[in-house]
Amino acid sequence: MRKHIANIKLEDEENEINLTPMLDVVFIMLIFFIVTASFLRETGLDTNRPEQDQPQVLQDEEGAILVVIDETDDIWIDNRVVDPRAVRANIERLHAEDPDRPLVVQASSTSRAATLVIVMDASRQADVYDISIASAN
Amino acid sequence: MREAVEELLTEEEAEINLTPMLDVVFIMLIFFIVTAVFVKEPGIQVDRPTALTALVPDGAAIFIAVSSQNEVWIDGRSVDLSGLKPVIERLHSENPEGGVVIQADNEAMNEFVLAAMDAAKEAGVADVTLAAAVP
Repeated sequence: MRKHIANIKLEDEENEINLTPMLDVVFIMLIFFIVTASFLRETGLDTNRPEQDQPQVLQDEEGAILVVIDETDDIWIDNRVVDPRAVRANIERLHAEDPDRPLVVQASSTSRAATLVIVMDASRQADVYDISIASAN
Repeated sequence: MREAVEELLTEEEAEINLTPMLDVVFIMLIFFIVTAVFVKEPGIQVDRPTALTALVPDGAAIFIAVSSQNEVWIDGRSVDLSGLKPVIERLHSENPEGGVVIQADNEAMNEFVLAAMDAAKEAGVADVTLAAAVP
């Protein structure tokens, strides 16, 4: 009787798979993925760049609100220099005249990125989200 | 005799059942594998312009930085403008769903910012974002 019970017990133990090594591996993988998971949060503005192979007809494009940034970071709208703080109001006015007009920013190659972001931000504040960026040569 | 049987029974009860913990650990593991985005950081910090309307783009994977000295950084290295497109293509093929974020310094020239945008578009990335901090 005793022998019988002992045998059953031994067989039972042998049949059980030892999970400990697998658990070790799984834990190490878990820790690796937790550590490498970078919850990187970068904020930004969507951009829309016209295709390069298309002809550059932006100046002639009827209807688009054209904002020009020149070499000295001056912002030109409707052939007038506009203060950076007044860009939003100007775009809002032009947008109100015709809400379907997209916005085209023509940035000089030596202007600063900050000015471009000011114009894009002002345009988005004025509810104009269709912004294209062109480079002036 | 009876004592021996009881001893065996109590021994079995003392063992901890690991299966529920294993289930939880596996689910956490799968979660972290799935959410792992292998972000390619540019390698330098830039002084980004601020914008009130800046949003968090979803699925940004490749970061290109343009420094105030107009150096273009990607994947931890400074690259030439002509060498930017192949690097973006390589990184984009590793993670075709990810978008590109261009981190331009306040003082960076738009020539380089726009060239980086063009390179990303030419490399086939549809989702290009210009980084801006929320003030």
